[in-house]
Amino acid sequence: MGKIVNIQPVTRIEGHAKVAIHLDDAGNVADTRLHIQTLRGFEKFVEGRPVEEMPRIVCHICGICPWSHHLASSKAGDACFGVTPPPAAVKLRRLMQMIAYVGDKLLHFYFLAAPDFVIGPDADYAVRNVIGIVNAAPNIAKQVVHYRQLTAQILENFAGRAIHPTFSIPGGVSKPMTEAERVEMLAHALELLDFSMFTIKFAKENVFAKYIDAIKTLGVIKVGHLGLVTDDGALDFYDGKLRLMQPDGSHEDFADDEYLDHIGEHVEPWSYQKFPYAKKWGDGPAMDLDNPVGVYRTNCLARINVCDKMATPLAQAELEEFRAEFGRPTHLTLLYHYARLIELVQCAEQTVELLEDPEITSSDVRKKIEPRSGRGVGCVEAPRGTLIHDYQSDDEGLITQANLIVGTTHNNAAMNLSVKQAATELIKDGTYDQAILNKVEMAIRAYDP
Amino acid sequence: MEKEFEPKIVAFCCNWCSYLAADSAGMARNQYPSNVHIIRCMCSGMVHPNFVIDALTKGLADGVMVCGCHPGDCHYQDGNKRAESRSEAIFLMLEDFGLEQERFRLEWISASEGQKFAGVSGEMTQTLKELGPNFYKS
Amino acid sequence: MPVKVVEEWLNSCSGCEISILNLGDTLLDLLPELNFVHIPVLIDHKYYGQTGESDVIEIPEADIGIVSGGVRNEEHKHVLEETRKKTKILIALGSCAAHGGIPAQANMYTNKDIFEKLFRGSPSTDPASDPNHPNVPQWLDSCLALDEVVEVDVTIPGCPPHPDWIAEALTALLEGKTSWSLPERSVCDTCPVIREKKSAAGPVRRCFENLEFNPEEGLDKMRCINEQGFLCLGPVTLAGCAGKEGVPRCIQARTPCRGCFGPIRKGARPMVDMMGAMSSVGLDPKTVVDRRAIMNRYIGGHGNLRPLPARPARK
Repeated sequence: MGKIVNIQPVTRIEGHAKVAIHLDDAGNVADTRLHIQTLRGFEKFVEGRPVEEMPRIVCHICGICPWSHHLASSKAGDACFGVTPPPAAVKLRRLMQMIAYVGDKLLHFYFLAAPDFVIGPDADYAVRNVIGIVNAAPNIAKQVVHYRQLTAQILENFAGRAIHPTFSIPGGVSKPMTEAERVEMLAHALELLDFSMFTIKFAKENVFAKYIDAIKTLGVIKVGHLGLVTDDGALDFYDGKLRLMQPDGSHEDFADDEYLDHIGEHVEPWSYQKFPYAKKWGDGPAMDLDNPVGVYRTNCLARINVCDKMATPLAQAELEEFRAEFGRPTHLTLLYHYARLIELVQCAEQTVELLEDPEITSSDVRKKIEPRSGRGVGCVEAPRGTLIHDYQSDDEGLITQANLIVGTTHNNAAMNLSVKQAATELIKDGTYDQAILNKVEMAIRAYDP
Repeated sequence: MEKEFEPKIVAFCCNWCSYLAADSAGMARNQYPSNVHIIRCMCSGMVHPNFVIDALTKGLADGVMVCGCHPGDCHYQDGNKRAESRSEAIFLMLEDFGLEQERFRLEWISASEGQKFAGVSGEMTQTLKELGPNFYKS
Repeated sequence: MPVKVVEEWLNSCSGCEISILNLGDTLLDLLPELNFVHIPVLIDHKYYGQTGESDVIEIPEADIGIVSGGVRNEEHKHVLEETRKKTKILIALGSCAAHGGIPAQANMYTNKDIFEKLFRGSPSTDPASDPNHPNVPQWLDSCLALDEVVEVDVTIPGCPPHPDWIAEALTALLEGKTSWSLPERSVCDTCPVIREKKSAAGPVRRCFENLEFNPEEGLDKMRCINEQGFLCLGPVTLAGCAGKEGVPRCIQARTPCRGCFGPIRKGARPMVDMMGAMSSVGLDPKTVVDRRAIMNRYIGGHGNLRPLPARPARK
C-alpha cells in the first residue's frame, strides 16, 4: 500500500479545494485528485425569484468577479423578456466589465500569482506571499494596491457598488452617465492603461523570461479550448459566438443558446464541482493524462488560443509577440499568466475606447420590460472563463429553471490533469517537500480558480 | 392507544380587559380548556409580532391568541388599534413560514366577558386539534 | 508588537476578502501592526502541516480571528470551531457570517431537493448520484450564521462590509478594545432622497423600468424609492454600506436597497418592521412579489428561512 499526500487547503486561489496525491509502493504518483469541497446550490434557490432581481442575486456567486455574473444574468434576463437594451446601456455594461477586469487581473497577477515568481516557488511560505512582495518591492506594491483600489473606486463612484453590483438589469442599466462623470473616469482610465503596459513589460522581463523552463514543463497538458469571439474572430468579453477548439487547433463556432448541443457536465463522486466536457469529441470525459477525451480549458489562455486577433492595437501587438514565441494553440499551462496580462492590456484599452465614444453618455439606457414566459441564455467571458447563465421564466417573470456553468467549472477536468502531470513529473521515489507541493499548486493557480 | 393531541395555546392577555375576563371566567366557573397558557401584558399593542412568530416557529406553541380591549376602550387610547395593524404583519408572516392562518387569533374581550374568553379558548382548542400539531414542533 | 491575525473563509464568495484589499493605502498603513499567520487567500499556511503530514487540523494561535462566510458543511464547522479555540477575539466578517447571507436562501429548500436539482435536474448534467466521498464534506441541515455555532465577539455586517468599518473595527481592537459595533441607524437615516410620506397607491412596482430621476441632479433631488412605489428595504436595514460618509450604495446606483447589512437591531425581523414602513406611505405588503425571499435575502440564517411544510398551508 502506498500513501496519500494531501495539500489542504489549496491556497492563493478563490475557493475551497484539496489535492490528494496517491503514491504507489515505490513512491511514484499513481493518481491525483483535485477535490472541490464547497457547494452552495444557487441553481436551486434562485427558482421562484423574479428575473429582474437575478443580476443582483447571482453576482454573489463570486466576490472577485461579481460583474461577470451580473452581466451574464442581465443578458439572460434580456433574452427571457425579449428586449434588446439600448446601445448606450450595452456600452456602459461593457465599460463596467472592463474596469472590473483590469482590477481583477492586477489582483490575480500581483497578489495571488506573483509570489511564486518574484519571491520564488521554493521560498518559505511565510514570505512567499503578497506581504513578502510588499517588503521586497515596496514601490511596485504601493502602485499595485493603489491602482487596484482605483478600479474599485471608479466602479463605486459611478455604479454604487464595485462588489456585488446592482447597476445592470434586464432591459439595460439603472442610470446613464453624465459628461462630467465621463471626463473624470477617462483620466483614470488612461492611468490604468499606463500601469497595464508597465505590468506586462515588467512581467515579460522579470517573470516569463526567467521561468521559461518551468513554463515549458509545469502542468502542461494537451486539451481543447473554449472562448467567445466576435464575428470577425476578435477576442471579446461581453458578447459573440462560442468557439470550441480541438487540441490540434481546428475549431467549431456556435451561438451561446446552443451550448447544450456541445457541452455536457459529468459528475464524479469525489468532487462537488462538475466536469464539463465537449460532447462531440467522443465518449467523454476521460481524465487520462496520455489520452484525454472531451477535456477543454477556458479562461485567458483558452481565449488567447481561440481568438484570431485581439480587439485593440496594443493588445494585438502583444498577441503577435506571444504567438511568435509560443504558436497557436499553445498548451503551456503557466502561460495563463502571460495571456492574462495580454488581456489586461485589451481591457484597459477598451476602457479608454468606450469612454471616448460620445454615445456612452446617451440618456437612453433602459427598455421597459413586460413579464412573460421565456428562455434566455446569457454568456460572457468571466476572468475565470466562459460563463453561461440559462434561465426559464413563467408568465409572471419568475424563474422556473436555472442552469449555470461558471468559468472555473469548465476548467475542472483540465486542472485535474495539470495537477496529475505536475505531481507525476515532480514526485519521484517518494521524495517531496513543501516546495514541490507548492509547484503542484502553481499548476492550479495558473487557472486562477 | 395513541393519546389525543392536546394543543398548546399561548394567550397574550391585556391587563385591563381580557386578563380580568379570564379571571372572571374562572370565578364564574365558566370552564375553559387547560390548553390555554396566559401571559399577562399591559396592552395588546405591546405584543410585538416577533413574540407570536417566535412562539410558533420555535415550536413553543401550536397556536397564539392576542386578546385586547374592544375598539375605543383601550386604556392607552389606541394600543388595540396598533395590535390590529400588527396582526396583518403576523398573518403575512404565517404565510411566509408556511403556517396555517388559524394558528393565530386576535380577539377583543372586555373584563366582563368571561364567557366569551372561555368560548374563544374552546373554539381555538378545537380548531387546533383538527389542524394537528405545529410543524415546527418536530 | 504586531498582533497575530487568522483569517478564514467558509461558505463565502471572497467578496469580504476583496473588501479588505479595498482598504487600499489604509491597508498598507495597517499592515505593520498585523501579523497574518493564517489566511488561505493570501498565504500558504496549510491545515495539516505544510506537507500534509499531520492528522490534526492546526490553525495558529492568534489575537484576532476574522471569519467570512456562513457555515454550510462539516468542514466549515470544524474550521470555525478550531479558529474559535485559537483566537482571543473572533470577528464575523460580512453578512454571510453575520446572518447567513445570500447562500442561506438555500434554507428555503431541503438538502434533498437541492441535490436532486443540481445532480439530476440540470439540462447540461449527466444525471448521477450525489457526490459522496471523505474529501467532499457533508452538508449540514441548513446554512448557518457563525453565532449559531460558536460565540462571536465582533460582527461587521455587509455584503460586502465597507472597508471603513473593517479598518475602524481592527483599529479599535488594536487599541485594546474588545468590542465594536455599528451604530443602530437605518439606511433611510443616511439617505438624502426627498420624502413626502405618501406614495401613489396600487400594487408594489417591480423593477421593470428605472426609477424617476434626473441624472444630472444629486440624490437629494430624487423622490424616495418606496414613495415611487418600488420596494426598498432601506427603512429596516442597518446603515453603513457606504462607509462613514457617502450615500447608500444601491441608492447611489439608483436602485433600491435589498437589505445587505441585515436588520438594524439583532433579532429584529425586517418583514415586521417593513410592514409598518410600507403602510405609512400607503404601500400594500401583500402585493410584494416573492415576499418571503426578498425580505430575507441576506438573513436566511437564524431560522428566518426554512423549507415550508410539505402539506400546503390552509387558505
